[in-house]
This record gives sequence, C-alpha cells and structure tokens, in this order.
Amino acid sequence: MTTLTHDPIDTASGHSHAHGPTGLMRWITTTNHKDIGTMYMIFSFIMFLSGGVMALTIRAELFQPGLQVVEPEFFNQLTTMHGLVMVFGAIMPAFVGFANWMVPLMIGASDMAFARMNNWSFWLLPPAAILLLGSFFVPGGATAAGWTLYAPLSVQMGMGMDLAIFAIHIMGISSIMGAINIVVTILNMRAPGMTMMKMPLFCWTWLITAYLLIAVMPVLAGAVTMILTDRHFGTSFFNAAGGGDPVMYQHIFWFFGHPEVYIMILPAFGIVSQIIPTFARKPLFGYASMVYATASIAILSFVVWAHHMFTTGMPAAGQLFFMYATMLIAVPTGVKVFNWVATMWRGSMTFESPMLWATGFIFVFTMGGFTGLICAIAPIDIQVQDTYYVVAHFHYVLVAGSLFALFAGAYYWLPKWTGHMPNEFLGKLHFWCSIVFFNITFFPMHFLGLAGMPRRIPDYALQFADFNALATIGAFGFGLSQLIFLVVVVKCVRGGEKAEAQSWEGAEGLEWTVPSPAPHHTFEDAPVFKG
Amino acid sequence: MSTDPRRAGFLATLRAVLWSFIGVRKRRDYHDDAASLDPRAIVVAGVLAGVVFVLVLVGVVNWVLP
Repeated sequence: MTTLTHDPIDTASGHSHAHGPTGLMRWITTTNHKDIGTMYMIFSFIMFLSGGVMALTIRAELFQPGLQVVEPEFFNQLTTMHGLVMVFGAIMPAFVGFANWMVPLMIGASDMAFARMNNWSFWLLPPAAILLLGSFFVPGGATAAGWTLYAPLSVQMGMGMDLAIFAIHIMGISSIMGAINIVVTILNMRAPGMTMMKMPLFCWTWLITAYLLIAVMPVLAGAVTMILTDRHFGTSFFNAAGGGDPVMYQHIFWFFGHPEVYIMILPAFGIVSQIIPTFARKPLFGYASMVYATASIAILSFVVWAHHMFTTGMPAAGQLFFMYATMLIAVPTGVKVFNWVATMWRGSMTFESPMLWATGFIFVFTMGGFTGLICAIAPIDIQVQDTYYVVAHFHYVLVAGSLFALFAGAYYWLPKWTGHMPNEFLGKLHFWCSIVFFNITFFPMHFLGLAGMPRRIPDYALQFADFNALATIGAFGFGLSQLIFLVVVVKCVRGGEKAEAQSWEGAEGLEWTVPSPAPHHTFEDAPVFKG
Repeated sequence: MSTDPRRAGFLATLRAVLWSFIGVRKRRDYHDDAASLDPRAIVVAGVLAGVVFVLVLVGVVNWVLP
C-alpha cells in the first residue's frame, strides 16, 4: 500500500493543515470526509426539524375531530412531504454523514476514495431540498399523493409533483454516488491487517447498504421518470385508459421501497453493534453471524416487496409467497436481537447516554419488528391496510429504530467529532423524554388502527378522539424533546469536559486511536491494524 | 503468493451461504470459511441459493393451495 507523505499529520495540536479557502468557500469546496460528514449531519438535522414541524401541524389538526387548523388539501400535502422529507432528507443523509465521518476513521483510510465526488454528493442535496420544500409555494402546492407517489394521483397532481420528481432524481444521484464512494473506500482503502472479517460491524452494514442503494435507487428514478412522462409526454405507463396499469407503479415503487426500508435500518444495526460492546465491555457476541445475518436480510429484502400490496387484488398464491418470504426475514433479524442481548449478558454494563439510546433502540425497535410480523400475515394485513396500525408500525421501526440509533451514534461519537464529552444529564433527559413521549404518541395508534381509523385523513369519527388527543400531546412532547439534542450539540461544540482519544472506557477500534477531536487529516500513513 | 491457501469446494461454499440465510455460524467453521472461501464463489452460491429459496417458496405455496 502506498501512502502520501507530503503533508504530515499534526496529531499533537489537533489543528489541520488544510490550505484551501477559508470561510464559506471552505465548506463549498471541501473534499475532506470530516467536513462533508459534518455538513451531511447538519443538513439532515435541519430537514429533521422541517419534517418535524410538518408532523406537529398534522398532529395539531388531529388533536380533535373536525377541521380546525389546516385545509384538507394542505393536510394531504403535509403528510406526503413529512414522509418524503424524513426519508430522503433526514434519515438517509444522516447515515451517509455517519459513514463519511466514521468509515475512513474505522478502517484506517486517509479519506473517502473519491473525495471530489463526495463533495458533489453532498452539494446536490441542498438544491433538492429547496425544490422539495419550495414546492409548497407553487400553484397547487406541494405534491399530496402520499410519500409513495402512487399513480393515478401522482399523474394528476399540479406542478409541485414535478418539483418532487426532480428532487427525488437529484437525491437519488447523490445517494448512488455516495454509495459507490463507500463501497470503493471499504474494499480498497482498509489499513494493512484489517481483513474484511475484522472490519467494525458499522462498516459491514454500510457496505451492504451501499450495494442495496446502488441496486434500487435507479428503480425509483425509473418509476418517477415514468410518472413524469405520463404527466407531460403522452405515455400511459400507469394509465389504464391508455393500456397502462396503475398497480404496476406500486410493484416498481415497492421493489425500491422495501430494500429502502433496510437501507434505513441496516446502518442503525451497525451503530448499535458498535455501542453495545463498548458499554457492556465485552466483544460483540457472534460477529460473524451478525455479518451473515445482515447479508441475508439484504438478499431477502428483494423478494418481499408485494407485502405492501396485499389489498390490490393479488392471487392467493402471490399473497402466500410474499407472506412466507416476509415472515422468514424475522429469522436473521431475530438473530441480531439475540446477539445484542447476548453481548450484554453478564457484561460490566454502564448506561451512559449512547448505551441508553442503544438499549432503548433494541426494546422499542423489537416492538416495531413484531408488529411488522403481524402486518406480514396477509389476512390480518387486509384488515389493517391503510389504518393507523401501519402508521404505528413503521414509526416504531423508523423513529425508534433508525432515529434512536442515530442519536445513540451521535452521543457515542460526539467526543470524537468535537473534542468534548456530551453533557450526561442532558443526554439522559433527552433519552427519557424521547422514549416516554414516543410511546405516548405512537402506542395508541395501534388501537386506533385496530379500531379502523384510516391514515392520511384530516378528520375522523368521534370514537377515535381520546387516543388522538393523547397522541398529539405525546407528539408535541417528543418534538420539543429534540431541542435538547440541539442544546447538547451546541454545548459540546463550544466547550465542556475534554475528551480523550479513547473517549469511552470500553471503546475499541482505530477511530479511538486518533486524538479527540479528530485532526483534519488522519491516517495519511496507514496504521497497521492488529485486531 | 507461492503457497495457495486451501480452496473450499462448492459444497463448503454452499454450506456457508445456507448458514448465512439463518444468520448463525459456529466460530470454528467461520474461521475455516474466512481462510478458505473465495468471495466470487460466495456471490455465485448466494445468487443460486436465493433462486432456490424463491423456488422452494413457490413450491410450498403450490403445495398448500388446493
């Protein structure tokens, strides 16, 4: 392996030798993986707050039956945009930010493989976000077809739909480039001695996620392009009157959409698999089986998509196939949960903020996994399709799954990013407020769904009033709790208890061998890994 | 490398892939795998096993339907 030696690392001072532009141009032109990772995370947090404001407006409208706060048309725009912003603007870029910061540090690489492409991957996102959020202000408003953009609604929407289509195209290109970068970095730039099966599990989960992204983002791009040509260029892919089929859109969308679910959860598994061993002070139980299970989940994710479509009039054979395949995914996922619990078993556990979030993740994500199994059973799903039961299910896996893991990771690596330990009291307060308010918000939705309350509606029958009021109170509590995180990060950036290189007692891995905060350039001379 | 590490046969590769479908592997077998398996063979075996998995499910579905 060759190394560049013209720009030696100044590890003692922690200051960079960046000789590029300063000020704003530093951030616009940067090719440094840490700068780009930071920008990804700031971007995703801004989008998280934007999507959160939409969610709170939705919940405010649903506080009582009747129409009080927003027009029904605007309500539909809010539910659609909340989904699009959270999936494509908040969760996905946040994980890419983690990958940018941590993958090179974990494998002992000096930077990402394609540093300039990395810059472009990030800077495509703000224009996409402007297109998406700006679509609220065009005639007809933002798209209101639901985040899945089902035809024929999406074919009939106003120009807000076109803006959403272009935003999805741009974000898709960004994701594909980011994924290629991660694959090439992991496969080619590992430090001597770091074989594939010695890599930290976060790198493994991201490697597999990156392959999923490369496989399915073009499928989404194709789907929305077909909508675009149906809308403007006279095609009839999804128009039955012209010989097309609206259900075909659902098949294409969910062939992307189900692997997308795993794109949003596999890196979360990776983060949790880094944190649990650190605070249990034991090596991860069943490392190899974790790698195998991740690969298995990724492969299976391609053959289950139509479980989102049980009510479209599928033959019984199709329903059974997708039901069996979906239920089998519970096997490798269960292996992971058991491995985390076995890692904690008889460990010397302490519950600092990252560990609290990670254990909270296991507890609440598992509940979301179980309701997923219930939804996988075709005859039950036909009852709960498009009800609040499904809303409860996917918020248990995406909020309590992906988001809790992101917070766990943020508290875990904040010392490495900022050089200061996060405030423990505020971190714990953030966790307890979040997990309590999260359950107050989403647990009643199971009952609402089982009682028959449909999703994506601004008004509802009187018998649903109490649980909806409760959910709204929980949602405002949850939303406000997230501001605690903002305070923690700002405090951490500005000062506080100095973090050591190995910031947590049980932390192991190459990222803990560099000073905190990590210098601008690290591992220009590749370390030798003796794992 | 002058001394080629022992290469796993097709059946050994397939066995590792099938274990991966459940997500469990014994530590000793895993170490053997890491030393002997060819990544390209794993990809081929993985795709084959994936196809077989789908065909088995289709078979089961046809069997349970009247």
